[in-house]
Amino acid sequence: MSAAAGSTRSFGEFVARAHRAGELVVQPRMGVSSPKAMRDGLLATKQANATTVGTITLDSYTRMGDDETARAALASGADLNGYPIVAHDVATTRAVLDGVAGADFPVQVRHGSPCPEDIFRALMAAGMHATEGGPASYCLPYSRTPLCTSIQHWVRSCALLARLRETGIEPHLETFGGCMLGQLCPPSLLIALSVLECLFFRQHGLRSVSLSYAQQTNADQDREAVRALHRLAAERLPDVDSHVVIYAYMGVYPRTSDGAARLLTEAARLAVQGGAARLIVKTAAEAYRIPTFAENVEALETAAAAAAAERRAPLVGEVEDTGIYAEAKALVDAVVDLDPDLGTALATAFRSGYLDIPYCLHPDNAGRTRSYLDGTGWLRWSRLGSLPIGHLVRPTGSTELTATGLLASLSYVEHKFDDASLDEYLKGARPMAQIHDTGTARRPLPGSPGEHLSSPVTRTVLTIQHRILTAARDFLCGQGFIELLAPLIGPVTDPGARGAKQVDVDYYGHRYKLMTSAILYKQASLTAFEKIFFIAPCVRLEPLETASTSRHLAEFHQIDVEVAGASREHIMELAEQLVGHVVQEVLAHPRGALERLGRDPSVFADLLTQSFERRSHADAVSDLRAMGHPQNPDAEIDWAGEAILSRKASKPFFITDYPKGSRGFYDRESLDRPGYLRNFDLIAPEGYGELASGSEREHDYGTIIARIRETGENPAKYGWYLQMVRDGIPASAGFGIGLERLTRYLAGLDSVWQASAYPKIPGVVAP
Amino acid sequence: MDLATEESPGDARRAAVPVRRHPGTPDTPYGPSLSVVVTTVASDAHTWNLVFLQLVLEELGHRVVNLGACVPDELLVAQCLGTRPDLVVVSSVNGHGFHDGLRLIGRIRACPELADTRVVIGGKLGINGVGGRECRDQLRAAGFDAIFEEGTGILEFRSFAKQLTMSVST
Ligand code: B12
Repeated sequence: MSAAAGSTRSFGEFVARAHRAGELVVQPRMGVSSPKAMRDGLLATKQANATTVGTITLDSYTRMGDDETARAALASGADLNGYPIVAHDVATTRAVLDGVAGADFPVQVRHGSPCPEDIFRALMAAGMHATEGGPASYCLPYSRTPLCTSIQHWVRSCALLARLRETGIEPHLETFGGCMLGQLCPPSLLIALSVLECLFFRQHGLRSVSLSYAQQTNADQDREAVRALHRLAAERLPDVDSHVVIYAYMGVYPRTSDGAARLLTEAARLAVQGGAARLIVKTAAEAYRIPTFAENVEALETAAAAAAAERRAPLVGEVEDTGIYAEAKALVDAVVDLDPDLGTALATAFRSGYLDIPYCLHPDNAGRTRSYLDGTGWLRWSRLGSLPIGHLVRPTGSTELTATGLLASLSYVEHKFDDASLDEYLKGARPMAQIHDTGTARRPLPGSPGEHLSSPVTRTVLTIQHRILTAARDFLCGQGFIELLAPLIGPVTDPGARGAKQVDVDYYGHRYKLMTSAILYKQASLTAFEKIFFIAPCVRLEPLETASTSRHLAEFHQIDVEVAGASREHIMELAEQLVGHVVQEVLAHPRGALERLGRDPSVFADLLTQSFERRSHADAVSDLRAMGHPQNPDAEIDWAGEAILSRKASKPFFITDYPKGSRGFYDRESLDRPGYLRNFDLIAPEGYGELASGSEREHDYGTIIARIRETGENPAKYGWYLQMVRDGIPASAGFGIGLERLTRYLAGLDSVWQASAYPKIPGVVAP
Repeated sequence: MDLATEESPGDARRAAVPVRRHPGTPDTPYGPSLSVVVTTVASDAHTWNLVFLQLVLEELGHRVVNLGACVPDELLVAQCLGTRPDLVVVSSVNGHGFHDGLRLIGRIRACPELADTRVVIGGKLGINGVGGRECRDQLRAAGFDAIFEEGTGILEFRSFAKQLTMSVST
């Protein structure tokens, strides 16, 4: 809440006071359909540890003047993307504001409507007097309404709002001109629109305005731009109350919560450095969905703290003049010269291309300008169309436009900030929890079974999986292996599946288990054949948190291989050859399947030509620690560590010699290095992570009993197995490759569930 | 892609002019190019998604009419009746896509001439970003041929377009 509170009936005055007191006013983007929730949101804003003003953001139906649909949605209980101020009656909105809004906490209505009279009437009737918009900025980015129509409506709406002055209230209007489509509009044009719309507001009776500027893609350019905006405002609007408001980035937002916080922090610094009085924040949920109130409060407090820090330790250094001011001034001058009536001037300017927003599809935008980001993220013109700045700027760069190129420009900020937080993490400065995708939990799950199975992607993936299976069978059978069918249930199963719950089955009154892996049977089977394999189904009730990791399934399959008398080195060699063979076959048939999924076959070049690297667990730990990752030397490589190593690799690699205690009792302990196991994991590159685990097996009865006890298990449970061990099973080595994980890696899938015909994501009810 | 040509400003209007298939139309590697309408729902103002999808489709060799922001149901239906596109791609990210999409597909399917037109929808369809499986089932039941919610990725969409191209050629 505000330290700048005082009795004032003006939004502009409230902000000016805070500014004089050295405080940046921070404000959320916030709007929900329920009045009760809207009130809670305003209260949460008011109570945040920051100098705040409140926001009521309106829903899209109300913006479009479609109050009928908004009412119908309210009646049916459907949630809207904002507060339907016209559909709710005045008394309802008054009740939302009662005791919350006031001189110490002004509330602004933000909408996006080219024809806002009804909205203005509704907000004024509810006792509010601050809002946002502009004849061009609430038309071109928000509608297909003809610009001339929007201008006429805004003339009338400004007059409506200005009439409040007769009642002793100073209404406030903020232009959205400094944002427009949110992305890829060079600063000079944004500044010009901000100034021109405020001139329009003044012409139509308003005396308190704010000029907006949305953070763009390069901090230096933004600093120069905000300075230019202040200078032009001082020159053009000396006789009205005005302040500059910064919008935290309005384009595609970082997906990590840490990246989002950094971008917001940079916006707060820009506001302080540029002398802006107000900042509108964005939250960590921005890239995904409408934020919660808690997320908004967090963003407000992060921004306020960043602003305070910036004021204590201001960034010193010159702001270079690269000509943004001159460009913006030329645009403003050219437009005001067109006609003394600013509405007419704006309409003429867009018609003649004096104002022309890059990439805007609105019918009244000429669409002849183009812009691009240079290597430093500086926004530049690549085509000027008819903008009257040809004497000031020489367009550069290419005007060629591709889907990938456009997406790369739109994602520049997202990637820059997400990558920075990952780097920071690697340096050990941030715990991984802060870097998690805010939206992972909301990543879509498979559609209905019919939808999933008939999807062309699923079908292509399953074709590839079929190929993997046939190739693996061909390869193993060619080497003299016998394929056996693995049992589904038994009195005990693999205890080595860490963190996962086993499933009980009532077997004629005995408690049996569904197999978490076939390991015990693999060893037993060697008493019949020397080389065996299973394609074994496994069920592990993984913890709920793993639902969003993209790499866990509660039901999956393993290509399980076991060889009597083999050493670990021998079996690793076999695993390497098997993977190589499978990849070769998948590349060959069905031809083009990978390309159809957008998977570039050239990523397998190293895998096919070079042998897989082998490194010990201890080396992997010290590599990770050198990178700042706090890997525990006595444990499994944690998933974050695995992800880091995996991402740095270009082909699969082995990690060997895990410390005892991190694995099941059947992995044999090294004789030369007690405390270490003769085992390995095979890790896929590109972040896909673990593909397979294997080891030399323990087969000595006494040692097995001791190892079972060490892991806190009761040997009695393993009766049938121990009996066989006592009677003598061969020494062996083997491995299990996760079939769905291998498929995911080969096909380049986002999630492992895409590699299953009937995916069981932990915790998700599915066929 | 040309958002506008030097000769004809006011491009979205030009874009709404029917595009007819003519013999010289270059084919895609998989079959004849499709005529596609890219559009959004009536309440949705977002257009970067539309620009992006237009580029994706054009790069696959298809011909695209991009109707721009906030397309009223009637405008889209009229466009479809007038030009009989091979594919209609509805994209919405403002959170009302599920709601508006249901209404829109009802209006399209109510025209007997458009009963078989391929219509797909995608984006961020609910105010929680994605609408969820139930929403997808409802959209499908209401008449959409496919639903591409964010996260399914553009990959799936590309392969859908390829399949459609192949089926049109046979
Ligand atoms: C830029 C932007 C705007 C600009 C849009 C300007 C314009 N004319 O385009 C402005 C500032 C005007 C704006 C306004 C609003 N916005 Co907005 N906006 C964004 C933002 C920041 C980026 C969107 C973008 O440009 N993406 C780039 C394009 C290329 O990608 P995309 O749209 O995400 O689509 C991708 C996929 O979804 C997929 N896809 C999309 N459609 C389809 C269709 C098919 C068939 C397929 C296969 C794929 C596909 O392909 C794309 C590439 O991967 C997003 C948040 C974010 N992502 O960071 C919010 C966001 C989309 N906006 C949102 C909202 C709610 C609004 C408003 C209603 C205001 C409000 N209440 O907050 C108004 C819209 C008013 C209206 N009438 O609709 C919400 C939507 C919430 C939700 N669905 O859960 C978001 C997510 C922000 C948020 N977290 O609240 N917005």
